[in-house]
Amino acid sequence: MMKKNRANSIMGMAFFGPALVLLTVFLFIPMILTVIYSFTDYFALSPATTHFVGLENFGKIFKDELFMQSFGNTVKFVLIIVPLQCLGALGLALLINKVTYCKKYFKVAFFVPVVMSLAVVSTLWMQIYSPEGILNTVLTNMGFDPQPFIHSTDQALPSIAIMSAWQGMGYQMIIFLGGLQAINPALYEAAEMDHASAWKKFKDITLPELKPLCVFVFITVTIGAFRMIVQPMVMTGGGPSNSTYTIVYDIYETGTVNWEIGLASAMAVVFVIFVVILTIIQNVLTKDKEDKHENKKK
Amino acid sequence: MKKVICLAAALAVAAAALTGCSRSVKPGEVAGFDEGEQYLSIWVHSIEDTPEGQSYRKSVEAFNEKFNGTYFADIEFIPRNDSGGGYSDKVNASVLSGGLPDVLTVDGPNIAAYAANGIIQPLAELSEEERGIYLDSILEQGTFNDKLYALGAMESSVGLYYNKAILREAGIEVPKAGQPWSFSEFLEILEKLKPTMDGKNGYPLDMTFPVGEASIYYFAPFIWSNGGELVSDDGLTVDGYFNSDTNVETMKYFRDLVDKKYMSSVPISNLFESGRAAFKFDGAWEVNTIYTSYPDIELGVAPYIVGDDWNGERYTPTGSWAFAASSGSKNIEGATELVKWMSGVESGLDLYRQTKSLPSTYEAYNYITDFTDDENYKALYEQLRDFGHPRPKTPAYPQLSSSFQQSLENIAISGMGAAEQLKKSTERINAKLERYTRT
Repeated sequence: MMKKNRANSIMGMAFFGPALVLLTVFLFIPMILTVIYSFTDYFALSPATTHFVGLENFGKIFKDELFMQSFGNTVKFVLIIVPLQCLGALGLALLINKVTYCKKYFKVAFFVPVVMSLAVVSTLWMQIYSPEGILNTVLTNMGFDPQPFIHSTDQALPSIAIMSAWQGMGYQMIIFLGGLQAINPALYEAAEMDHASAWKKFKDITLPELKPLCVFVFITVTIGAFRMIVQPMVMTGGGPSNSTYTIVYDIYETGTVNWEIGLASAMAVVFVIFVVILTIIQNVLTKDKEDKHENKKK
Repeated sequence: MKKVICLAAALAVAAAALTGCSRSVKPGEVAGFDEGEQYLSIWVHSIEDTPEGQSYRKSVEAFNEKFNGTYFADIEFIPRNDSGGGYSDKVNASVLSGGLPDVLTVDGPNIAAYAANGIIQPLAELSEEERGIYLDSILEQGTFNDKLYALGAMESSVGLYYNKAILREAGIEVPKAGQPWSFSEFLEILEKLKPTMDGKNGYPLDMTFPVGEASIYYFAPFIWSNGGELVSDDGLTVDGYFNSDTNVETMKYFRDLVDKKYMSSVPISNLFESGRAAFKFDGAWEVNTIYTSYPDIELGVAPYIVGDDWNGERYTPTGSWAFAASSGSKNIEGATELVKWMSGVESGLDLYRQTKSLPSTYEAYNYITDFTDDENYKALYEQLRDFGHPRPKTPAYPQLSSSFQQSLENIAISGMGAAEQLKKSTERINAKLERYTRT
């Protein structure tokens, strides 16, 4: 018996080993190093002069106007994109679920942007948003003034959020679609017997049945949105006047362009703590409701 | 216990993978490296399979032939991605692990930071004659704290291009080289052109303040020619330089250009190329673009404009990648020889043929008919030769560059207070300089 266990564990390690090594090298060690570096003044060009500086980096971050601004921008971005992308995905899923012809075509069409590289999508939308681009031409023909979009401090972030929502929502749409198809048709049949309106059916059957999926989509979209960097990097370089500069962009610039690995690590630590706290809050809030729901059922 | 062993083993594997190896190469191990030769390693920032990479390869092969029996140079290509990573990551990692080559390429504005942090060392003494072959701007770019660290094979320049047809129509005479328009004169010309350009649904000036290196590269000359500086001579002080009253005035000039609608506040692509702008500031490559893709535009190069009180000092844009000897090199004589070769006349000529980047030596220009026969290329070369001024030399250059762009954008486009913005930027740059100034 002992022997078999041992053989099993060796086999287990053999399968698990390569993954463990890779995870250790590329995930765990960098994570540990980031935390260690965040307490030092590690400078990429002069690693030999690294000192332990305690909490100095963290003090600097919270006094840094640009970091605070990028923090604000990121939160603003999340607030715009999360409802947009979640509701958009749900809407698309409901529509496609209803459509009886060309269903495959719509599914593919809405999913294609997800497969495309973000850099490519960003470049494409730069053309759409450009001062003499498609969107402005359409607007002018309809009698509206042309808009600066990504070249204005007010419109740049929402413009990027709309583009990102369009790019990403296909993925959540597929998830919702799976959920919709898993709902027992008998529920709808029963509702019809009771002459329930379409809205009632949606509110009392579809939504509750999709609830667990909604929570999942909500949390993944939120975390994804916090990590936003590619779009402003390609489209605006963080401008105009830093209005699209995000936390991850700031971390990247501080670490690789200004060579301040210590400071960048501290920013990363602050960012991770923030996202973790937020996720816990989200979890608690949504779980609570779920439990209540369960209780009601009972 | 087992867990600890597992973890230790994993760490050891990781460490081995991360440190890499910096062993010395023995004769015969690399094709062409013979007994009695000194081995020199060199890193370049480009992809081998590009015209630029091929040109470097060719230069190294020529070096090995010329110095057969004395030196052997071994080139390694480390591609640099668009955002500047890749190559610099490798250099930074090698600073930590100690695997720097004898010679490496450094972008012009980064020379100060690399020198101040001891990543590169001063080259061995060059004779007056050896120094004399290079354009002043190249020597100036490679010098930090009075020591020569780097020499480049490439130079660059930015032109104030104009549409000859539009200016002819408006009856505007373009001044000769060395007698540029002053800021006020240029404003008057833009004012004169405004109605014509409005009629063409365009602007007198095709100009933007993009995020990235272009803004400081194109527009710092406005600061210098107007009597301002961005940083002190030793590169360690910005207070009183970056935020000087003169610079506040210069920044307001940019805002004037936007406020009076001489330029668009949002970037419109191909304004100049489509004949809807009379002037444009752009790199030397624009000449080739116009010649090949927009043959209908009659292109001219006007002298870069200057502040009203300019007294002839150097001010126009320059700078490009250069070769330097790393502090890891124990053979500074050999490394210097290689740097001289890689930045020499032959290498520069070949690079021009492959990539159209301007050469760094006087002699090379004599062999290229573009610079003797074509008035526009000739004007760009003469401007570079007579007025070229390298970008600010400070170890905090990346912050200086992005702060300059942000100030420019905030002041000119968003209309924020000039003095206040420059003061804010000065504080940011100062924070980055702290590590060099604290004693």
